[in-house]
Amino acid sequence: MDLRAQAQRWQRWLFRLQPEGGAVRLERRRIYILPTRSGLLYALALVVMLLGAINYDLALGHALVFLLAGLGLVAMVHTFRNLLGLGLQAGTVAPVFAGEQARLTLHLDRPDPRPRRALALDAGAGPILAELELPDSSSVSLPLPPQPRGYRPLPRLTVASVYPLGLFRAWAYFLPAARHLVYPAPLSSPLPRARSVPQAGDSRGGNGQEDFAGLRPRQPADPLRHIAWKAAAREPAERPLPVKHFAGGGAEEIRLDWQDLPSGCDVEQGLSLLTGWVLAAEAEGLSYGLQLPGVDIPRGSGPAHRQRCLETLALWSPPGARQP
Amino acid sequence: MPLPASQTSPGDGIAAVLDAANRVILGKDTQVRLALACLLARGHLLIEDLPGVGKTTLAHTLARLLGLDFQRIQFTSDMLPADILGVSIFDREHADFRFLPGPIFTQVVLADEINRATPKTQSALLEAMEEHQVTAEGITRPLPEPFFVIATQNPAHQVGTFPLPESQLDRFLLRLELGYPDSRAERALLESGGRRSQVAALTPCLTPPALAGFQDEVERVHAAPPLLDYVQALVEASRRAPAFRHGLSPRAALALLAVSRAWAYLAGRRQVLPEDVQAVWPALACHRLPLAQGSGHASPEEALALLRGVALP
Amino acid sequence: MNWRLPWRRQRRPLPSPLPHSVLPWLLLCALATAGPHTLHQPLWLTAIAGLVLAWRAWLWLRQLPLPPRWLLSLVSLGSLAAIVVEYRTLLGRDAGVSLLVLFLALKLMELRQRRDGVVVLMLGYFLLLTHYFHSQSIPTGLWMLLALVLLTATLLRLHGDDRARPLASLRYAGVLTLQALPFMLVLYLLFPRISGPLWGLPRDAHAGLSGLSETMAPGSLANLIQNGSIAFRVQFQGETPPRAQLYWRGPVLDHFADGVWRARFLPHRKPQVEARGPEVAYVTTLEPHNQRWLLALDSPTAVPAEASIGHDLQVLAPAPLTSRSRQAFRSVLDYRHNRQEQPLVLQRALQLPAERNPRTRELAEQWRRADPRPASLVQRALAHFRQEPFFYTLRAPLLGRDGVDEFLFATRRGFCEHYASAFVVLMRAAGVPARVVTGYQGGDINPVDGYLTVRQSDAHAWAEVWLEDQGWRRVDPTSAISPARIEAGIAAALPDDEALPLLARVDLDWLVRLRHRWEAANNAWNQWVLGYTPERQRQLLSRLGLQQPDWRNMSAALAAACGLLLLLLTLWSLGRRPRLAPEERLWQRFCRRSARLAPDLARAPWEGPLAYGRRLGERLPTLAPQAEAIAGLYATLRYGPPLAPRDRQQLLERLAACIRELPSRRPS
Repeated sequence: MDLRAQAQRWQRWLFRLQPEGGAVRLERRRIYILPTRSGLLYALALVVMLLGAINYDLALGHALVFLLAGLGLVAMVHTFRNLLGLGLQAGTVAPVFAGEQARLTLHLDRPDPRPRRALALDAGAGPILAELELPDSSSVSLPLPPQPRGYRPLPRLTVASVYPLGLFRAWAYFLPAARHLVYPAPLSSPLPRARSVPQAGDSRGGNGQEDFAGLRPRQPADPLRHIAWKAAAREPAERPLPVKHFAGGGAEEIRLDWQDLPSGCDVEQGLSLLTGWVLAAEAEGLSYGLQLPGVDIPRGSGPAHRQRCLETLALWSPPGARQP
Repeated sequence: MPLPASQTSPGDGIAAVLDAANRVILGKDTQVRLALACLLARGHLLIEDLPGVGKTTLAHTLARLLGLDFQRIQFTSDMLPADILGVSIFDREHADFRFLPGPIFTQVVLADEINRATPKTQSALLEAMEEHQVTAEGITRPLPEPFFVIATQNPAHQVGTFPLPESQLDRFLLRLELGYPDSRAERALLESGGRRSQVAALTPCLTPPALAGFQDEVERVHAAPPLLDYVQALVEASRRAPAFRHGLSPRAALALLAVSRAWAYLAGRRQVLPEDVQAVWPALACHRLPLAQGSGHASPEEALALLRGVALP
Repeated sequence: MNWRLPWRRQRRPLPSPLPHSVLPWLLLCALATAGPHTLHQPLWLTAIAGLVLAWRAWLWLRQLPLPPRWLLSLVSLGSLAAIVVEYRTLLGRDAGVSLLVLFLALKLMELRQRRDGVVVLMLGYFLLLTHYFHSQSIPTGLWMLLALVLLTATLLRLHGDDRARPLASLRYAGVLTLQALPFMLVLYLLFPRISGPLWGLPRDAHAGLSGLSETMAPGSLANLIQNGSIAFRVQFQGETPPRAQLYWRGPVLDHFADGVWRARFLPHRKPQVEARGPEVAYVTTLEPHNQRWLLALDSPTAVPAEASIGHDLQVLAPAPLTSRSRQAFRSVLDYRHNRQEQPLVLQRALQLPAERNPRTRELAEQWRRADPRPASLVQRALAHFRQEPFFYTLRAPLLGRDGVDEFLFATRRGFCEHYASAFVVLMRAAGVPARVVTGYQGGDINPVDGYLTVRQSDAHAWAEVWLEDQGWRRVDPTSAISPARIEAGIAAALPDDEALPLLARVDLDWLVRLRHRWEAANNAWNQWVLGYTPERQRQLLSRLGLQQPDWRNMSAALAAACGLLLLLLTLWSLGRRPRLAPEERLWQRFCRRSARLAPDLARAPWEGPLAYGRRLGERLPTLAPQAEAIAGLYATLRYGPPLAPRDRQQLLERLAACIRELPSRRPS
């Protein structure tokens, strides 16, 4: 039996977890509270102190113990109150590559001017501390646990607090009804050979050989006439030769094809390689198209095109297979 | 029992305009009202729909009824900015350059199929819309008042179009979709023949100074603090919604308030209610909310869902 | 197995390293809680703790790393050994406190995690309690309250307040403490009290209490008189008797040897007291003196149930008094005691050490030959003290082997114990049964609360002689030498240059007044706070209507009271919503009422007033005009331009009236 899944199901039942869209306000029923380890230590200390006070018949000792007990109760109310009424709303998650840390923008606000302190927000990848002190609402960038590629539902968020005295921990769960996009992890490898297109008097296209765009380390295929000899003379000998790098836009075009992948790599590896190629092609300013079995994205460049290609790679599954 | 809310009818002229427009454009009460509200709020209108659903008729009808000059510019891909703004030509008699004003120098411009023109030409029009003036060859010439652009746009997925960029979309106060007429309206249309003759026969209900007066009155419609709170809450919610790449700008918030005022005025009220804001919300918000995933903008349903997530303060 | 408890992972909502800025707070806490113990602990321990504290402060200032563990272990082991050497145990009260102080100091040296800070504070809370071993006075209580607020503020700063202003933390801690006070009060009053001890007390539990002792030697009372502290307080029901009659009876001493008077055990027998005057009722609040006797006015007739009264009228508690206690007595001031006395008692009352004080015996023999009647012998002796040049002074010279001889014939300077002792020896030598009674005489009325205050400086010794037909009669030879001692108190009786505790002097008027105030406050504190014993609790509860207070219904009352307080606190702290405008309140009432008509008629949170009114009207056409009128009125009030106050009021009234007219049930 999968104990983990069992535990999750049990939790869902216990905490009545349902995905929620929009803003959520933490009401009484959503907030759970239990003593912390410090709280238990405190209770133990109080019991021992009470025994001492009884044994030595210390009237003030009784008073002290009772005051501290009252303090514990008051702290419970205050801890609860630190969360009560808190407004939570999941914002956006920028797409990330698999293995990278996605971050959720979580918006917090409160209905009253009371400051909220030491709020620990956790999406399963380590808590982030937040405070609500200024009258405005505030936003927190919350790390999400790494996920494989595809559209991933947001994980359960926990907002917890031990403020003020650390004797009690109040917490509440929030399962935002939203998903975020994870691209395949990019694998860098050399691009398949670029194909030059004849320039067809298009006013937008410049000659990719003309606009000097800077220097870069030489790669074996660079023509000799592009080597910046003057710059090379200033560099130490062991450095690779600097090469003049020209940019034009649309000068070269390339087709990133599933068929061109090295044989023997599985689907995920292939997608990772293609992702790496898309990034590399975009970085070099190439015009690129993407072809997968069942998908054909025409050539293009620019952020929108890049996003479209990456999204396709993130969501693609081999024909006949289950959606990732 | 008389209602204590200041439920007077709007200015008689405006009521007459609405009435007459609805007689010409059948079954599009809301759209006509929104178009008029847009005009009263001194904003420009973008109509996005298929050809032949009555975009031109709407623009023309409004111009006629309001007693305004009307020009129509059909945008094409080979159009140049000068074709809209005007050109200077050398006058041999006076041995001087003479400016020939373009079709934009009018009170109501119908910019038809604006997304067929190149971005350069589009931006010439949009700059004129924003500034209410035209600068050509170093000389700035003011446009007539009032100045109202009704642009129409074919759905973006049609071939050979240059979709308007985000920044330009924001300059249109409202975006409408006319949609097909319902069966009754279509039947009436078929029975009475084309609208062209009807439009031509319309007589103006208003004069330009009267329209300016109404526009001033709209600005004086009261917006109470709770309503401003509501507008703020809506804008804030749009910025937080994970479904959209970004939310409404402060300029959009101002626009929302302005159109809500006009809508309240058209309903005969001297104060804005949340209902007014809600009525204009989809037309105002949809084209300003780009979807976070994929391309395109929020659908009216998505905009309404956002609206329903915000409680009245 | 890849499975963990779901919340285990999120147990620690705060990063675990201790915030650097909290350390001075922890040091201050250590100072505030361990500091006062310097008064009661060995100097070397104070030195070690102080050094460790200073070392830690220096490390903090310089941001230096903490010392290695072996060094700390060395220091702790050394100190542990020292404690064992000092106290011969690790378990006693004082050894335990020293151990705690040491732990606290050493824990400061290994503060790395937030949890270490929490441990320091828990130790601090515990140390607060230990101060009450030594004193439970008002200043101690106040100091501990302040220290508690400081500790709480530090706990706050440990859990997320570390960037707040120090004053803000202290204020928040103060607010928390104030809110805890009602709980303390309820618990204090209702928590079922058990009188201790629960286990055998260590021997050192009640060291260092002062008071009368079971013996009397020349100079022993004079020492006690230098002590200005309070012995007991008395609250009389009715008039306070004149000062000269206030003889508070303590130990009765009947055996004289080597210059020291002692009490000897006698089998118990009921005393016979004939009252010859009215009874006086009063309640004494006795400071603990770690002895069994209670102090009652001569002669007690009714004593507390648990106390017993001896044949010599001495009242004894069942156990040594280790805590302040209250006793109710009745006494008669004019009485006859044991007119029929046991021969054994009379025989003992004639005992004298042989071979001692020959001149005294000779004098007594001489008097007896002149007039053998006991009554005239008493008068003769008193006259002797009056007529011969005797002085009443605290600075009596030291006396040798035949102390009474030296006093009567040579030095003639002495204090009450000298006179009482000499008188009894004279009487015994003359054949009259006599004995010494110690106790207190007099007392001051505190004008602030009307309590009679009796101090250690009011300690006194007098004599009793047994006369045929009269029984035991009190004779106070001191009154013969210095009547002022009895009439006006010790300060009036002594020469001005004699050292008395400053506060026992009566001539500093403002000081006396101040002292009265202070002592009245202390007395109230003792009566109501410290003196809240199981009996008092029972009395209070039965006065409150809890007829048979046992632990069960007490616990129930306690739980109820605490629950109520918690509820109040919760409501107070959670329920503070911004005040709604009147039209908003009315509108919400309207929405609630219409929601009751049908579940789907509830207003959606985003629904505007007119839209809602219209929707209601469509669903319930009979209500349409009303619903729309209400919506319109509300819309005008809430979203319309500001109105003149009168118009506004009018509209509000109409709105309220419309809502009142709504049916509460769905119209059929």
